[in-house]
Amino acid sequence: MKTTTMTLCAAVLMALAMSAQAAGDPKAGQLKTSMCAGCHGIEGWRTAYPTVYSVPKLGGQHADYIVAALQAYKSGERSHPSMRGIAGSLSDQDMEDLAAYYASSYSGPAN
Amino acid sequence: MKKTMFILATVALGFSLPVHANGDYEAGKAKSTVCAGCHGADGVSTISSFPKLAGQHSDYLYRALKDYKAGKRKNPIMAGQVESLSDEDMQDLAAYFSKQKGLALKY
Repeated sequence: MKTTTMTLCAAVLMALAMSAQAAGDPKAGQLKTSMCAGCHGIEGWRTAYPTVYSVPKLGGQHADYIVAALQAYKSGERSHPSMRGIAGSLSDQDMEDLAAYYASSYSGPAN
Repeated sequence: MKKTMFILATVALGFSLPVHANGDYEAGKAKSTVCAGCHGADGVSTISSFPKLAGQHSDYLYRALKDYKAGKRKNPIMAGQVESLSDEDMQDLAAYFSKQKGLALKY
């Protein structure tokens, strides 16, 4: 009885832990970068509105952080106008895929 | 006339330079120990919810700190951290983390 209960508990915990992990697919993400690359993919590119500063590098950033940032733009918690517009058009799966792509070393067949 | 152009050019150059945060690397390094608790040694965070800072553009890092201080970016941890930072501290930290090896441009 004790063993069965413990095994069940462990299995449930493992399932929970796994679902908390980003479920993004880097290959799917690479196909969704068309709206990102025009700013984030160009050396030295700066955003001009509302203020001028360099757009952040994304290569090697943690997937969880990228998803959190995109969600914050989508909800309006983070305010950059371009990013709010773009994140607003992304589904949760899109965000996971894009985050997985930028976090990974996969650079895609097109690059 | 030529002299005026020269003066104008010099002034224009002067304006274009401060776009990059001109922080002090060594001062930033000394101030970065608090950041390491979450963002990792040298800005390479090992916890996925905390962003890596190493190699990020210094003016982006400076902007992020300014936005946290102004309340434009909201995060309970960062709000507390930036409270004690001066403008110079932010520039120094941005300069230090931007020169560490980590993030890369990815198309």
